[in-house]
Amino acid sequence: MKLTTYAKNLHELNILKDQGFTEVILEPKSLARFGKLSHDEFIKLSGRAQELGLRVLLEWDILMTEDVFIIKLDAIKELIPFVNAVRVQDPGAFNWILENTDKPLQFIAENGNHNLNALEGWIDLSHGRMERVILSIELSKTTIQEYVQKLTIPCELLGLGRILLFYTPRPLLSALIPDKISINEEFAAIGESEESPHKGFPIVENQHGTFMFHIKQFCLIEYAQELREMGLCHLRIDQRWEESCLTEISCLMLKFETARFEAFKQRYHQDLMRGFYLVNKTDVLFPKLKNSRLQKREGDYVGEVLEVEKGSHLAIMVKNPRGLSGRDCIKILHPKGEVFESKIYSLKNLDLEEVNHVPAGNVALVQFVGGVWVKSQVFYLTIV
Amino acid sequence: MSSLIKIPEVLAPAGSLDKLKVAILYGANAVYVGGQKFGLRTAAENFTLDELREGMVFAHERDAKVYVVLNSFLHDKDLLELPDFVRYLEEIGTDAVIVSDLGVVNTVRKHSQISIHISTQASTLNTQSALLWKKAGASRIVLGREVSVKEAGKIKRAADIEIEMFIHGSMCMAYSGHCVISNFTQGRDSNRGGCAHSCRFEYSLEGLDTLEKKKAFFMSSKDLEGLRVLPHFIEEGIDSLKIEGRMKSHLYAGTMSKVYSEALKFYADNGHFLSDDLTKWESELGKVSHRTYTQASLVEKASFNSIFNERENSLEGEWQMVGSVIDASPKSGIVIEVRNAFNQGDELEIIPFSGDVIKVQARQIMDLTMKALTRTKPTTLVRLPYVSGVKGSFLIRQKVKT
Repeated sequence: MKLTTYAKNLHELNILKDQGFTEVILEPKSLARFGKLSHDEFIKLSGRAQELGLRVLLEWDILMTEDVFIIKLDAIKELIPFVNAVRVQDPGAFNWILENTDKPLQFIAENGNHNLNALEGWIDLSHGRMERVILSIELSKTTIQEYVQKLTIPCELLGLGRILLFYTPRPLLSALIPDKISINEEFAAIGESEESPHKGFPIVENQHGTFMFHIKQFCLIEYAQELREMGLCHLRIDQRWEESCLTEISCLMLKFETARFEAFKQRYHQDLMRGFYLVNKTDVLFPKLKNSRLQKREGDYVGEVLEVEKGSHLAIMVKNPRGLSGRDCIKILHPKGEVFESKIYSLKNLDLEEVNHVPAGNVALVQFVGGVWVKSQVFYLTIV
Repeated sequence: MSSLIKIPEVLAPAGSLDKLKVAILYGANAVYVGGQKFGLRTAAENFTLDELREGMVFAHERDAKVYVVLNSFLHDKDLLELPDFVRYLEEIGTDAVIVSDLGVVNTVRKHSQISIHISTQASTLNTQSALLWKKAGASRIVLGREVSVKEAGKIKRAADIEIEMFIHGSMCMAYSGHCVISNFTQGRDSNRGGCAHSCRFEYSLEGLDTLEKKKAFFMSSKDLEGLRVLPHFIEEGIDSLKIEGRMKSHLYAGTMSKVYSEALKFYADNGHFLSDDLTKWESELGKVSHRTYTQASLVEKASFNSIFNERENSLEGEWQMVGSVIDASPKSGIVIEVRNAFNQGDELEIIPFSGDVIKVQARQIMDLTMKALTRTKPTTLVRLPYVSGVKGSFLIRQKVKT
């Protein structure tokens, strides 16, 4: 398993060389979300990286509406001769690289793509041009293991770095500054949500939009050996916002020691988390999000109680095409879960006429059943 | 005139079978609905299998289409149940499915011939992206809400694919599918239907050199409203205009379907929007609770003024739905399912499927057993004297008393 990371100057390139890196991600300001490099700086740095034996990966990870995309084509065309591969997230960038260049592609599949079928689909769409897929940090280790083993190309995963929570093209911070200087200026802030215990969300606004990150950084360094054994090819270290501690990380990767890692964590400027690496249960709360009244059953549903007139009647909106007959037995499910069963012995229509059958789409008045509330659901029990 | 102009379809949200019927009766050409799984509105009522079948029949009998959302970012285990559901959707005549994940696209293609629309959740923003989804088997792209109508026209012409755009409703501030705040702060996968709407919270912000600590709803977007942009949609040949809001009310589904379909019909008949009705339509849109409206990026890129820097509980509108007509005949009168109470003597507006509202005063109110009432209660059925022209399923509203 190889480490990969970003660099924005010669000094950082030299550190990578010293630490045995074989590649570097370079980010032009024009094409990368957090890029700092002008085109001249990019070309110079790319040349130097290649002299040092580092493979150069161009990060083109902004999302682009049509007009922005057209403008960005000049930038990518200028820079692409100087790189070995291009990393993209926008499917448009994916397609353009395929159709207009012969460069290998690295696909940033970090948003969604939480199933093998999707990842295999992207590889198929690349017709053999995809050399790497960057997996989502929302995947658990068992899933990562399965993907690494089954996918036909190498995988990359974030090993240490900020967790991007939110990305919009709209300028949200400068909107709060009455005398802002320039629309392209970069702003940074720390946010604290009123609704959650989390404090200290880093927020950045630049020419590409506004980005919010988690209060903790993602870290899988302690699982490096496990990831290596799974067969993961690339682990990304992202230290674009802090003092680099690549040397220390490289040492930990080479020989992991719990005590040293704990000391590293203590010194690190932000808290660290492993996210969903052990397990992803982000769907277990879903049943609780839904009002129990709305959790329907298939098949024997008659309709819904619209009115309860104590001592007089229940008004039921009949929705089943079978309608409701005077001979039916019904089961009534209270919104809180209590169940009532009753045979129908009084059935009237809205004109208060005694009838034998009320068709679907009409209101049926049946005898009052104590304990039933409006919005209770009615089901056929048996037909006598 | 109408035969010369291609008018986009009005695509309305239907969070339940009742809302599907309301939207179609009020003029929507198509609705989008969700089953009990695979969509992004876990808390919505959604459709059972039987209701999907019934909704399909109801829509097709009225020349309307039904699209079913499968636009979650599904995990492997979620995909296991999808083939059976997809086969069922094909069997009942589903017109298209709305998908955001390539794995779902491939699963749908493997198990059916249903048309595939790429959800806005996939944030398709440019021609090259549309071309890639077309290669993957899509017949329509629901563009990201960051795309202008002019850009959408360029994409449609260059990619030669059907284009759908949002015209109305709430908006994610983030690129759709690119927000995972709920996932990491609340343990709820926003891209599988568990969004906690963290972008609507108030945040304290500090640290900007030029900004003192400040509280703001800085990530909350105003609501989209595109009525005056309709001519641009038509000029650019956009195929479908989508209204957001499967979680919203019957009144919302009905009002939006009615206003946008009437406005487009006027254009089809007249070739322009220079109608006295324009202000009426705008007034109708204003009668449904909403955040401040914005055209967002439909014409120019959304900027500072698209932020809704207010608390959500200030959304109550000036009008509220008092109920819907369950039945109407000279014999039984107008039977109303009451949602919000009204009193004897109140002025009510009954909204027909097309045309002007019918204003009535509730001079005489009776319960179902014909007992006279002076005021109504929510979740009851009451009768008003019959008024000619009133039909079942009409919605009724009232100005909120201050």
